[in-house]
Amino acid sequence: VTTPAVSAPLRTRPRRRASLRRPVGGGVPLARRNLFENRRRVLLSTGGVAVALLLVLVLGGILAGAMRQLTGYIDRSGADLIVSQLGVRTMHMSASVLRPDIADRAREVPGVAWAVPIRYTTGIASSAAGRMVTYVIGYNPAAQHGGPDRLVTGRPPGPGEAVLDRQAANQLQVQVGDSVRMLGQSFAIAGLSTGGTNIANTTAFIPTSDFARLRGPTQAYVLVGADQGVDLGLLQARLEAIPPGNSVLTREEFAVQERRLVTDMTADLMRIMSGIGFAIALAVIALTLFAVTLAKNREYGVLKALGARPGWLAATVAAQAAWSVALSGLPEVLHVTLREPG
Amino acid sequence: MARVPLARRNLLAEPRRLAAGVAGIGLALMLILLLGGLWAGIQAQSVRYVDGTGATLWVLPADTRTLFSEGTQLPTSTLEVVRATPGVAWAAPALGQYAILDLHDTKAATVLIGSEPGQPGGAWALARGRAPTADDEVAIDRVLADRHALTVGDRLTVADRSYRVVGITRHAGFMTGYVFATHRAVQTLLHAPGKTNAVLVGTEAPTLVRARLAARGLAVLDTPELRRSVLEANTRVFGSPLRLMVAIAFLAGVLIVAMTVYAQVAERRREYGIIKALGASHRRLGALVFAQTLVLAVLGLAAGGLLLAAGRALLSWARPQFEVVITGGLVAQAVGMVLVMALLAAILPFRRLARLDPATAYRGA
Repeated sequence: VTTPAVSAPLRTRPRRRASLRRPVGGGVPLARRNLFENRRRVLLSTGGVAVALLLVLVLGGILAGAMRQLTGYIDRSGADLIVSQLGVRTMHMSASVLRPDIADRAREVPGVAWAVPIRYTTGIASSAAGRMVTYVIGYNPAAQHGGPDRLVTGRPPGPGEAVLDRQAANQLQVQVGDSVRMLGQSFAIAGLSTGGTNIANTTAFIPTSDFARLRGPTQAYVLVGADQGVDLGLLQARLEAIPPGNSVLTREEFAVQERRLVTDMTADLMRIMSGIGFAIALAVIALTLFAVTLAKNREYGVLKALGARPGWLAATVAAQAAWSVALSGLPEVLHVTLREPG
Repeated sequence: MARVPLARRNLLAEPRRLAAGVAGIGLALMLILLLGGLWAGIQAQSVRYVDGTGATLWVLPADTRTLFSEGTQLPTSTLEVVRATPGVAWAAPALGQYAILDLHDTKAATVLIGSEPGQPGGAWALARGRAPTADDEVAIDRVLADRHALTVGDRLTVADRSYRVVGITRHAGFMTGYVFATHRAVQTLLHAPGKTNAVLVGTEAPTLVRARLAARGLAVLDTPELRRSVLEANTRVFGSPLRLMVAIAFLAGVLIVAMTVYAQVAERRREYGIIKALGASHRRLGALVFAQTLVLAVLGLAAGGLLLAAGRALLSWARPQFEVVITGGLVAQAVGMVLVMALLAAILPFRRLARLDPATAYRGA
């Protein structure tokens, strides 16, 4: 915002600098000068606003990361379809119970290239250093599917052994050869996987025989690979018809359901947090502008006497608000720009 | 000069500025109390089941420190062992499992809890209806009922089973609703016959009974221990951001008080110069600034109380699943924060006054 027809600037500056900085229209950039006159105040106010807004973004980032990790196992499973107990469409916070011979029945269905059952529950992995919530997945280490996507060190688990996520191993301060307790039993760590830990939980893999011994013979999910060129919709219907009836989702549909669970659970809390962050930012901006405007009462009086209309004065204050918001937004822009891609 | 109520006059000289400052502090305080109350509510909701059962001791599977989320189970025969232990007034099993319900195209996270009809560990504090007695019956919490328009007599589908809602409880959990069923119904749903997750124990002699149960090879936690570990597990994800938000609201409050008083001091430099020229000491000027910030903060506290009542009512109406629990400790903390805010906020304007040249009084404003 620039002054209308004010011939003399409010503050005398060297002619050359003034001409260089003179905005279009030949006026004085009053909003910017008012705001930046007291740098400490600008720093405090924009800093307060920035932190409030950044917190909301960080929280959103945490949840986005949690969502991405939540579907990591399913995304990398290589399965075209996932079979679960009728009415169960998620893994997180879910229990799916399938008849023990479900994978054998699935393999008999025309169009199924492979079917691998997994056992699953939510548990706690504990060591002397701490405890972590974990998905415990029981799989057949000899099978090509159902286990960890990639081992960064060690080997697949044998009886009484487990594969832990590397991040979880760091947090629990254990390594290959050490032991962790899960499902009330001690497991030696045979290998470390990656990509299975988020803010809420981690992922651990144990042999399916150990899982069955501890939790019974039922299966939780069946990962199904389809023959090339098979209509997935048709295959889905065939698998759903296996008695007593199952839920069958494509990998993408299953991942969508998992993500929706997180968004549905956290949406209200996120709205409240965002609302409070917004209110804090608004209060800080309003108070800063109020203080700046009152401190410049006399100067505004002079401008009014020179013919400035109330609308123009309001625009000056609005421009100061815009500057505050723009400056406060810089850390957010940096946060978004510099954060891990994908 | 000592008789002149300078602090009060300075504040009242600009009623609009005073009102804005009070409103700003009130808003910051409201945010602190609202966030603090929200956090206290989340904590209370997280352990509501533990608190609501009335159990003194909890027999859990080995290594287990929380309920229903560790994947560990006990044989139901444990119940008889516990009941046969001298000093045990009552013992009841509880079998639970988190379950995601698809309700009206929304995913609702719930914890399904199975208990023996008529025994502790099941639905308590019923607002409507009764506790489930048959295996196809459930009681649900009020928030789950309200949010998904469920009422007594409706059907609720959990995985591949359908249950009739026979009761609605007054309490609700944090982020996860409660669905209470019979112990056998949950065993059937999970294909876990002969299994349970915990045995709740009522006793008048917890220390003695705990020792006796431990001597029989059982892992036992008392209610405060279980409460702590459940609280830690349930609030780990959101605890840090919420605490950070409270800290930010506090900083915003300090900032608002500081800016308001700083602006007043900056505008009245000439008057303060006169006071200094008349011989006012640094201590006198400091007292003046502190008095102003204190009055501002106390008025802000009152405004914060009013705004809090409004904010709390609005939140309860719009999002009933979030409880805002204002405790005496929280109020005391907020009052303490106001005083700290006032002291911190006074530092900047005081430093400016301390450096003020008395000759200012003889210059133009």
